[in-house]
Amino acid sequence: MTRGGVRRRLAKALIPASATAVLALWAFPIFWAIVVALKSESEVLAFPPSLVFKPTLANFGDSLVGRFSILPEMWTSLVISSVATLLTIVLAVPASYAFARLRLPAGKFLGFYVLATQMLPPVGLVIPYFLILNRVGWLDTYQGMITVYLTFSLPFAIWLMVSFMEDIPREMEEAAAIDRASRLKTLWYIILPQVRGGIAVTVVFVFLNCWDEFLFAVQLSGNHVRPVTVAMYNFVSVEQTLWAKLSAASLIAMVPVIAIGFAAQRHIVKGLTVGAVKGGGRR
Amino acid sequence: MKGLGRVRLEGIEKRYGTVSALKTVNLEIRPNEFFALLGPSGSGKTTTLRLIAGLEIPSTGHILFDDQDVTDASPGERDIAMVFQSYALYPHMTVAENIGFPLRMSGVPKRQLASLVRDAAARVRIDHLLDRRPGQLSGGQQQRCALARAIVRKPRLFLLDEPLSNLDAKLRVETRVELKSLQRDLNVTAIYVTHDQEEAMTLADRMAIFMDGEIVQIGAPAAIFERPATLAVAGFIGSPPMNLVRAHADGAAVRVGDTVTPWHGRIPGPPRDIMLGVRPGDIAADGQGLLAEVYVSELLGETTIVNLKIGAELVKMRVNGGSPFRDGEQIRVRLDPNRLHLFERDTGKRIEVEADSK
Repeated sequence: MTRGGVRRRLAKALIPASATAVLALWAFPIFWAIVVALKSESEVLAFPPSLVFKPTLANFGDSLVGRFSILPEMWTSLVISSVATLLTIVLAVPASYAFARLRLPAGKFLGFYVLATQMLPPVGLVIPYFLILNRVGWLDTYQGMITVYLTFSLPFAIWLMVSFMEDIPREMEEAAAIDRASRLKTLWYIILPQVRGGIAVTVVFVFLNCWDEFLFAVQLSGNHVRPVTVAMYNFVSVEQTLWAKLSAASLIAMVPVIAIGFAAQRHIVKGLTVGAVKGGGRR
Repeated sequence: MKGLGRVRLEGIEKRYGTVSALKTVNLEIRPNEFFALLGPSGSGKTTTLRLIAGLEIPSTGHILFDDQDVTDASPGERDIAMVFQSYALYPHMTVAENIGFPLRMSGVPKRQLASLVRDAAARVRIDHLLDRRPGQLSGGQQQRCALARAIVRKPRLFLLDEPLSNLDAKLRVETRVELKSLQRDLNVTAIYVTHDQEEAMTLADRMAIFMDGEIVQIGAPAAIFERPATLAVAGFIGSPPMNLVRAHADGAAVRVGDTVTPWHGRIPGPPRDIMLGVRPGDIAADGQGLLAEVYVSELLGETTIVNLKIGAELVKMRVNGGSPFRDGEQIRVRLDPNRLHLFERDTGKRIEVEADSK
């Protein structure tokens, strides 16, 4: 056998093997969460951990409808995340279109601004946010949390969508202008249908960020308005930590995110490969 | 209401910052004329078309459609249609939706829209493709779709920006003929941008030649071919282009190298160095005249282009059939004395010759 042949066969065997290894590494915490969620609290603490046990769904029951139900908090998170995502998209679409098309002097700074918001340690912003929200009386309110999340997600969403908008040839809009479409109609009929993938990607990222957020949620809300991340924190206390219920609650809290991922999957793949190949009929 | 389709550009200039893309363009395009804007890339022809379309606003000057000032009107208000070089079809819409889009934006009722779309598609023979998307069409079909979208509204002005440049050679020639007949059938003014002089010559009733942001000549293709106004035009029009060789003029005598080449006419002004232009078809090898060495021959099919070295100059001669000469052979060639073009060497302007008759 030639040396190239050996190398090819080796690569053929190595790629699935390493992919499996990476996948296992990534999936292990989830797998372990499932295992823990199926045990009773006392079994969780047994050492060495028992691999053979009698599985129970009691933790899921407790976390869903029982004494420890996280459903109200999930509803709170859903409201905050959905409204923040919706507002982000409604504002980011026209803004990113403007950044992509109009020669705005601020356009050059957008990338820097976005990076800056990602680089700032969030903990440094907690106190200013606390003071501001306290001053306007928005501490521990829906509008307060939504506003805080908007300040992070909006620049990121605009920055993400500008690249999708820029991929659409200018001539497309010029053709629309000649065909008597106004700017708004052009945005609605010509641009938006072509950036659906980009919007889907943005929705997933923004929703995910809001849903998963813990630091601001725990500092700026928690009594009247309590997101699911904060609720889960309550399973951990000085006296005891309810690991099994925490695991079950975590798994339940993942469901909406996974659902959104599945729903948007088709668009995401399309959105992420935009520009990789020339779109049909574009050039 | 449909206008006549007369277009007038008055003192149009276009600057981008300090860069001047167009320098004082004056132009009148008559109703129902097929008018070509011809020139090399960067000469300002596309800018001119975009100004007419309203996609750009001139820095100075006025644009008039049927004596109505449209300089500041938006593209949608101008009652025009345009075919882009890239076609600019909307990829998420079907062919029918693409063609119907201008009607939809004009508020045409649905039922009427469908029949107008079918008519336009049938005119360019794509009525069997109405449910496809642009990505599922061949280049030629995409081009037809763009044409149908342009004609569906029956605009007063039809603008075409190098619409054939993305087609292969054979299809380009076929579509050229169809385009011309389509324009005649529709009886509409068409303005056509191209860098291909052959395309402009075959399609246009009249054309404007652009060089460096200026119009250097306007006229019917035959007239421009016969009497190019400048050296640059002479070198641009014709395939292969006109031979341009250094010569010396002194009254009635034109000298190439040491040889006096016979011609009929008199050059005004003092004796001076000029450029002599002669088309490849106006050179004959009949045993007299300038001494030339056959350099290489290119068979084109029905004709052959024979490349000759005359002194230091390389000159192309067209002969019918295959080349009768061997490479390296010394022959004598005669330039048709009735078909010489003389240009000033410094300004490039055509020298109007006294008694330019026989």
